[in-house]
Amino acid sequence: MTMATNSAVSGHAAGDQEHASHGQEIAGHVILAPSAVKDKLVGTTEAGATRFRKWAIILTVLAAIGLLGLVLKYLQSSDDQTKWGYTAAVAAFLLTIGGGAPLVAVAPVLAKANWVRPLTRLASAFSLVGVVTMIVMIPLVAILPPLITEGARRRSIWFESPDWTPHIFIFLAMGTLLMAGLGLFYTTALPDFAAMRDHSTGRRQRWGKMLARGWVGTTVQWRTLRMRIGMFGTFYFLMLIYVHFLFTSDFAMGVVPGWRDAIFPMYHAMSSIQGGIAVTIIAAWAGRRYLGLEDYLRLDQFWSLGRLLFASSLLWIYFFFSAFIVFWYGRSMADIAWVDLFIRGPMIWAFIPAMFMSFLVPWWWLIWNRIRTSVNGPAIGAAIVLIGLLLDRIRIYVSSWAVPPDEIHDKYLKHIPGTVWPDVFDYMIIVGSIGASALIVMLAFRLVPIVSIWQTQEYQLLSKPVKYIRGHGVLVAKPD
Amino acid sequence: MQQRRVIDQVETNRVLLNGQLDTPKWWLPTVIGLGIAVIIGFVIIGFMVNRGLGVTGLSRPVYWGLFITTFVFWVGISHAGIMISAILRLTQAEWRRPVTRAAELLTVFSLLTALIFPLIHAGRPWRIAYWILPYDFARGIFPNIRSPLIMDPVAISTYLTGSTLFLYVALLPDLGNLRDRTEGWQKALYTMLALGWRGNPRQWKLQTVGGILLSALMLPIFVSVHSIVSWDFAVTPAVEGWHSTIFAPYFVIGAVHSGVSAVVTMMALMRWLWKWDDFIRPEHFDALARLLIVVATAWLGFTFLELVFALYTLDAPEIALRELQIFSWPWNMMFIVFLMTGYVIPVGMWLFKSVRNNIALMFWTSLFVNIGMWLERFMIIVPGLSRRTPFVYTWDSYRPSMVEWSILVWSICWVTFLMLLFSRFFPLVPLFEQKESQVFVDKIKIGRAEVPAILREQE
Amino acid sequence: MADRSILGMFQEAEPAADAMDGLARAGFEPGTFDVLTGTPYPEGAFGEYVPQHRLFRFPAFGAIIGFTTSILLTAGTQIAFPLVTGGKPILSLFAMVIIMYEMTMLSAVIATVIGIIFESRLPNMNPGAYDERITEGWIGVVISVDTTRAQEAESVLKTAGALEIKHAS
Repeated sequence: MTMATNSAVSGHAAGDQEHASHGQEIAGHVILAPSAVKDKLVGTTEAGATRFRKWAIILTVLAAIGLLGLVLKYLQSSDDQTKWGYTAAVAAFLLTIGGGAPLVAVAPVLAKANWVRPLTRLASAFSLVGVVTMIVMIPLVAILPPLITEGARRRSIWFESPDWTPHIFIFLAMGTLLMAGLGLFYTTALPDFAAMRDHSTGRRQRWGKMLARGWVGTTVQWRTLRMRIGMFGTFYFLMLIYVHFLFTSDFAMGVVPGWRDAIFPMYHAMSSIQGGIAVTIIAAWAGRRYLGLEDYLRLDQFWSLGRLLFASSLLWIYFFFSAFIVFWYGRSMADIAWVDLFIRGPMIWAFIPAMFMSFLVPWWWLIWNRIRTSVNGPAIGAAIVLIGLLLDRIRIYVSSWAVPPDEIHDKYLKHIPGTVWPDVFDYMIIVGSIGASALIVMLAFRLVPIVSIWQTQEYQLLSKPVKYIRGHGVLVAKPD
Repeated sequence: MQQRRVIDQVETNRVLLNGQLDTPKWWLPTVIGLGIAVIIGFVIIGFMVNRGLGVTGLSRPVYWGLFITTFVFWVGISHAGIMISAILRLTQAEWRRPVTRAAELLTVFSLLTALIFPLIHAGRPWRIAYWILPYDFARGIFPNIRSPLIMDPVAISTYLTGSTLFLYVALLPDLGNLRDRTEGWQKALYTMLALGWRGNPRQWKLQTVGGILLSALMLPIFVSVHSIVSWDFAVTPAVEGWHSTIFAPYFVIGAVHSGVSAVVTMMALMRWLWKWDDFIRPEHFDALARLLIVVATAWLGFTFLELVFALYTLDAPEIALRELQIFSWPWNMMFIVFLMTGYVIPVGMWLFKSVRNNIALMFWTSLFVNIGMWLERFMIIVPGLSRRTPFVYTWDSYRPSMVEWSILVWSICWVTFLMLLFSRFFPLVPLFEQKESQVFVDKIKIGRAEVPAILREQE
Repeated sequence: MADRSILGMFQEAEPAADAMDGLARAGFEPGTFDVLTGTPYPEGAFGEYVPQHRLFRFPAFGAIIGFTTSILLTAGTQIAFPLVTGGKPILSLFAMVIIMYEMTMLSAVIATVIGIIFESRLPNMNPGAYDERITEGWIGVVISVDTTRAQEAESVLKTAGALEIKHAS
């Protein structure tokens, strides 16, 4: 099979760029020969075997510790809801970053942005984190109070539904989201599995053969592929919003009496996009550094992601302030309780750094074009945002779950609970689940290249350095 | 994307400056007709100011009615300009080019109109100065900045000033063009306004960089304006249906929905009236309709969240309000019309490419959206006030009077009048953007296919 | 040694770029000659001198002015007229922030617009040689020289293929 069939443009691949050698740079635009792209990227699945093994062992141990922590915590405190705040926060955090990242692979593609093509694989692979999220959610769902407690129906978005509705539906929704994410990941990887089948050896070749499902790159196959990406992408986005809606209302709002906050699901979903962008930047930074992908994950990608991260940090404060100002002005008992619980209350130690790290620091850091047009600049910003989002989730979920379940029917929260500090099991769960998530994503990139081969080739086809009178530029194609 | 034909600059000038250099025959009678309507409207406003708000339908307990609804409506329409010209400029959407000027213009004139409504709604407009402007040094009495009713004028005047300046800066190259095409007093006027524009690389670079910078600055203002308008309502827990955290983004996305729809309406009119078929093409309608499908669906999602979390509280008054809004006459009829015209009919139709490319259908569906969006604002504002609440012993349902309806009609005539007046002196389609598009748009040949491409400068 | 402004008119971009090259080769200082177009071209398309600008300082300056004024205005008026409303503190930061935000942004926008006009070197009372066809797609190459070198500049423009030469003082 020739590489021509591995391009998106129906077999007419090489076009004007057949002459190009590997890594030739014209006017800041790197021209890569299709075969060089294939060799390099297929090679990444085997690169750094020793280092990979070392990290895989470390992360597996962490994952095991996390799982142990989860089991032990359940055995010890399955009857005490107030002990589960940190676990809920971790689940929310994983949903935030793992759920949001695939959108980076979808939205810019739908908007015909070419820069995102080398990043789609990275971003969509984070949908695999959903597996870890679902495992962490098992005890939470078990502990979640039924809709009818103490003989009365508690406030929920399920209104008159049967008692078990939230428990079943959150799992169904999470599962569907995971399936949609996997569908997106797998569909976009199909041509690359074929490349693995044709150009790698041993186990990878066998996997490639099995997963490529007879892909040869006919016009019909490419057309179907594009259609599927559009469908999975749209469906994934809608599912993600729905899951955030369920998660926030069942695992946060529902357990705090009198907390009515229509923007909260959107705030959660929006910060999920922010987290998704951040985690994509971190993964791209690591890929570039450790797999030698300087010609593939270029400044253009970091610059564009940096701008998106900047914009999403502004959106974070906008959504936060939109809710805050209404509660602050409102001054009904429920409004006052909200401010006391989530801002001034037990988790103020998490709120203040969360405010700094989700908004103030990234805003002031990424506002500078010089920072955005670097590789390390956006990566530092992304790391700060990720810590900020974890603290923000801790602020929200630990405060919410600290409310004693016997107050659930009150009109508003009458007693603000004290600060809850993590116990040893919480630390195990936090470290373990983050480790497990990293492991699962790393494993995926041993199976299929971290940068999509066909999308890199398509990126090459669709942009062409040109001389314009005396100046230079790049012609960027926007196919319909 | 293959609908464009190459048009040279002489032809571009001839066609796009036809409003200024070769005024169409319909222009004068239309402007005179609208001018008469506008004068009648001002007379009615004068009558209302003279007689007092008793001539309106406002009465206990509904004090915010059609005027405030229309105020929110026009602020909403004003979100067209920055949405189109800033967001699409920042995302480098090529199809924005023919509509940026008209959209910015709509922003400026609709904001001007919006500002009038709270003024006349106050009954004695001149007294508004007391509670807005911090000028009363002699008595030491100053405005209460904790009130959203102060934040509102501050935000709107910021947006109005910013938009007007933005409009002017982007007009400079075209003013230079008009200066070169006119004689006599017109030339003198344009020479003065063009400030000596020549079109050297420095000036063009500043146009480009300045445009992006202004877009980036206007964008946060754009978001804040309708958010602050929404807080006029949302910060008070006293009225059911108003005190919701989602109001700010809900209002903003609704505003974008109505604003962009208004741009579509205007584009259709521009294409028909000035015969700009080569510049405002079906592909532009198609792109805007696709954008609107996304915006409208997001807006519907926010509407859903607002409703669900109102019912979520299980509070009897809140549920009673929703019953009133959705199930009681005449609100139920309005609710259906709002839902059908605001979302179901237009979005349902835009799903079809043939509709998106049909100018007449796009015109009517975009008009529908704004009927729906006006009703949406009415249904947010009035039912919450008109519901029977404890300790209120005098209530009456609200029925806008003829005076109020006339002033609503006047506002539409007034905006149209201003737009037409502007079109006589300044081009509605930015000429230099059109010409720039001709320079920057190209094709890449891939095998046998030619793919439309855009030239990007090296960073 | 009065300065003269000489304008060569071209219909195509390529000869205009040749003229720019020719002027540079002839030793005219960069910045004394320029290309005039009716539409923006990609930067460096004519091998022209790419001007530096300081536009980004303007909004920063404007924002600082606006922010400071807004703090003084919001805090000052409330302290001067301390009327408690809605149970809120006299200096309510979250309400003040909204007004401060708007005033900061307004000031930044005004400063940016001033910056755009100033950095574009407008208003320009003495624009020099110009031709109305530039806004019809012609390309002008304009050079500002002292009279001693006017002849030389003109011949460079003609050699490059200028269809017309115009003068202004």
